[in-house]
Amino acid sequence: MIKDEKLRSDRLVFYENDVERLDAELDSFLELARARTALLIDCDGHLVTRRGEPIETAEESIAALVAGSFAATKEMARLLGEDNFNVMFHQGSRDSIQMQLVHHRTLMAIIFDQRTNLGLVRFYAQETTKRIEQLLDSIESEVREEVQLSDDFTDSAQEALDKLF
Amino acid sequence: MVQINFAQKQVKAKVVYYGPGMSGKTTNLEVVHQRAPDTNRGDLTSISTDGDRTLFFDYMPLDLGTVAGMKTSFQIYTVPGQVYYNSTRKLVLQGVDGVVFVADSSASMVEENLESLRNLEENLQEYGKSLATLPHVIQFNKRDLPDALPVEEMERMLNKHGAPTYEGIANTGQGVFPTLKALASCVLKNIMQERSTTGAPTAPAPAAAAPAGMAGAPAPAGAPMAPAPAAPTGGAPAPAAPGYQAAAATAPQAAPQAGAQPGNLMQQAPPQPVQRPRARAASGAGRPQGQAQAQANKKKQATRTATPAAPQRSKMSVAFTVGFVVVAMAVGALLAGVVMKAL
Repeated sequence: MIKDEKLRSDRLVFYENDVERLDAELDSFLELARARTALLIDCDGHLVTRRGEPIETAEESIAALVAGSFAATKEMARLLGEDNFNVMFHQGSRDSIQMQLVHHRTLMAIIFDQRTNLGLVRFYAQETTKRIEQLLDSIESEVREEVQLSDDFTDSAQEALDKLF
Repeated sequence: MVQINFAQKQVKAKVVYYGPGMSGKTTNLEVVHQRAPDTNRGDLTSISTDGDRTLFFDYMPLDLGTVAGMKTSFQIYTVPGQVYYNSTRKLVLQGVDGVVFVADSSASMVEENLESLRNLEENLQEYGKSLATLPHVIQFNKRDLPDALPVEEMERMLNKHGAPTYEGIANTGQGVFPTLKALASCVLKNIMQERSTTGAPTAPAPAAAAPAGMAGAPAPAGAPMAPAPAAPTGGAPAPAAPGYQAAAATAPQAAPQAGAQPGNLMQQAPPQPVQRPRARAASGAGRPQGQAQAQANKKKQATRTATPAAPQRSKMSVAFTVGFVVVAMAVGALLAGVVMKAL
């Protein structure tokens, strides 16, 4: 059991079917909440998937910043004797962003504008969070055949590095 | 931790520049950002103080292109070097796949280098990692200082695990790319080594109990120092330790990678002076021109597809709307009554 936990915490592998299911949940959420964009982000700062409108600035940078600010918030929570602050919200003049912890190491960032309101976003975000948590649980516990990286990954990577540098 | 996304055919690894304050971590990243082809680099994002010291982290994604069918990229971070920023420094190390330790060569910075290295080990331990197993590279920066310590002495003080070491003068660009290339090479090798040592295929998420990249092939004590790889001359850094197999900058034989600029970055000359943008912000302010174009190229098409909502939630939505209308009508009627009464 400990090994399983370690496997899960040590590496992030998302298979095609997993991401399709996560995407379907996010699409459904965006439709109901009328939000612009939903991002699922690993707490290390890697973007898992993005649905809805693309973001003007780089999505990867947004993902890194969301993870960073969540990490900082978690530290604040710890100092205040809380386990975590599960939801963060930033309001702008045009766009707003709600960030929410989903499962133990995934964050959901929702970007929305005047086409909807915070109440609606929060209402459906709560529901979607529960569904995604169930989904991530099932993904973690699912028994499946491992898909491997191609054998020539290292050699190809070295070639790519030689070309870039 | 390396994220492998088979749906989007992506491999992402996180590397962190670590070291004492003012040792040149951010300068390294700025040089990478300045010289990497537009198609390969993302925004350089900095969370810094008014005094231009890194407060939380600097960040930029570097795209390596498609490797064996997988779009491979590095998420590159720097940490704040000042001692009192340890809490934020620790946060940035979460999920790290490789570290560049940027040491200051000045004789007056010996204690700061050692303290920062100790601090790195301590912080890694909190995440169950260690420099003994984590891919890392050491850069002896500021080699142009008059009081720079001999490389052998720095090696003896700082390189306990036989990591590849590189001399650098980051503000001229010297040594920046060989250092990053060596680390990238170690990290990518480590991915495959980890995967080849994973457990049974029934594991829900394949992983190795411990990275094997460096532990399996420790460098001999006193590993030879890689030559200072001056960017203008395109010097190819030799691997300092066999375990790391730092990449040799051989001329590419195959057709150039799509989007890559002709000639590799180590051979670009002459280095441009690096200027740290004064007002750096999350939006990537201060980034060089041309990045907007790169950004535009990177934008993906909107893929918002309306999949059928779950029936239960559709019902809830209708109920929510009906409830709202009923309440609004009741309030309206009440208000109308009050107004009539007043009249």
